[in-house]
Amino acid sequence: MKAKGKKKGYLVKDYMNTKVATIERTATLKEAVTEMIKNKTNGLVVIANDTKVCGIVSGLDIIHYLVPKYLKKERKLASFESGETFVVHVLEAADVPISKLMTKNVIKVRADSTLTEVAALLSEYKIRQLPVVDTKGYLIGYINRTDVKWAIGDILGITSA
Amino acid sequence: METEVPTFLFMLAISIFALSYIIIISEKVHRIVIAIAGAALMVLLGVITQEEAINGIDFNTIGLLIGMMMIVGISKDSGMFEFVAIWSSKITKGNPVKVFIALGSIVAIFSALLDNVTTVLLMVPVMFIVANNLRINAKPFLISAIILSNIGGAATLIGDPPNILIGSAANLSFNDFLINLAPISLVITFVTIGMLLFWYRKELVTTPEARESVMRFNPQEVIREKPLLIKSLITLAIVMVGFMTHEITGLEGATIALAGAALLLLLTLNEPEAHLRDIEWTTIFFFSGLFILVVGLEAVGIIRIMAEGLLNLTGGDLTKTAFTILWGSALLSAIIDNVPYVATMIPVLHDYTVLSGVSAAPLWWALALGADIGGNATIIGASANVVVAGMSEREGHKISFLEYLKVAISMTLVAMIIASVYLYVRYLM
Repeated sequence: MKAKGKKKGYLVKDYMNTKVATIERTATLKEAVTEMIKNKTNGLVVIANDTKVCGIVSGLDIIHYLVPKYLKKERKLASFESGETFVVHVLEAADVPISKLMTKNVIKVRADSTLTEVAALLSEYKIRQLPVVDTKGYLIGYINRTDVKWAIGDILGITSA
Repeated sequence: METEVPTFLFMLAISIFALSYIIIISEKVHRIVIAIAGAALMVLLGVITQEEAINGIDFNTIGLLIGMMMIVGISKDSGMFEFVAIWSSKITKGNPVKVFIALGSIVAIFSALLDNVTTVLLMVPVMFIVANNLRINAKPFLISAIILSNIGGAATLIGDPPNILIGSAANLSFNDFLINLAPISLVITFVTIGMLLFWYRKELVTTPEARESVMRFNPQEVIREKPLLIKSLITLAIVMVGFMTHEITGLEGATIALAGAALLLLLTLNEPEAHLRDIEWTTIFFFSGLFILVVGLEAVGIIRIMAEGLLNLTGGDLTKTAFTILWGSALLSAIIDNVPYVATMIPVLHDYTVLSGVSAAPLWWALALGADIGGNATIIGASANVVVAGMSEREGHKISFLEYLKVAISMTLVAMIIASVYLYVRYLM
């Protein structure tokens, strides 16, 4: 169990996780899926130059990439597409660099950011997690919806007996 | 009057126009930005007044475009166009040759009624789906979509923007186009489908299991809203009747299209904001900018000089002029966007017929056929070509310039020869 302190400040550093699933930006889609399966996660922080954050790749990003563009606006038509199309697209995309499908505009927070900010960002952008970086942009952890839920529990005095 | 134009104003108008054209062709800057900037310069630098600029915009063309964009934008949400495409694939029982003929014919018919880009945006997804189900290469379908959309678009007043421009400027009715251009468009469509089938005969083979999957299609599934479908069909029918009777009623194209749009908005009680966004404002502003650029040329007498040049070239002989226009338009439309080309040629032909006294009608048909069909020759010749090439590349089937040229050049040539014979036999003999 992570040490979830009942800190007064309710800052990111009190609730963040320091063990982050990461992947190099030069990695392929296949390698990203391998990492996700291995780490039992749907989100990887994409890093370059040591641990500088340059993107996020999620399961949804990968799914999004695999849907043929001509079906994007024509959802009704998707039911007519052959079943093989999915397989063909997965096989074709295996070696695509993740830099092509990752989210590049990453919303980041600092260790001393407040949970108010975290909550606002998670809710506005409907994202699952935020990478935590130091002043130079190097990755030091992440904070997700579950962590915020822990903080809510702390505030309400709920104990997980 | 043109003799009074100071030389510097003359040079200024030419420079603004030529520079705008060159930048539009180079595609370095978005063509709308250039059209508006060029139009603004014509007024700012005193070539024309603001009043002349505004008078130069053909609001009948603009209104017709906006009205049709709104009607199509609303009615396509019903899924009716996809329904027709999916249904036709099903009734061919997945026979690849028959599917190819069916989808190609539908492209030609749709593009006679809708704008070509809208047609290919609706049809290409269905073509991908059918080809994938049949496990055949989608490329033959995509290339047929490009070629047949441009040929089908030539058939009617509303089928292709150059036709709208010509119809509005030359006062030619919907029925004039139907009587004069639809028959030849139909013949060329038949011949072209035949040539495409021959060209791709080895690719259009499939297995019984693959055919089975197409036979299982249930076209009903693409109908999103039945009430909307009915309302759209009613509106489209009324608009078509309006176009076909506008010689009798005296109503102009813009009135009919915008009234149709208003009717459909009333029937659906939709939020108009969403559908106003459906209008391709880029196209509207592009047209407006071009109209003003051409007014600049007219004001300083360049259009007159071009008409005189054409007269010198042809000696005022109608047959010579018609063929020069037909083939010249095809050649130029293969390289540049046919909309700015036709917008410039319209006043030139107006002046030409006044100068030479020849009958104008055959020249308008020559201009329309040349500009519409010529766009087929290269992958950059018309907007629909570029759109399909983009969609194809995103799916990993890049259609290269030369690859397309190899298929399209012979078909464009044959189409042009047929058009020449038609023009000669019907109007010049």
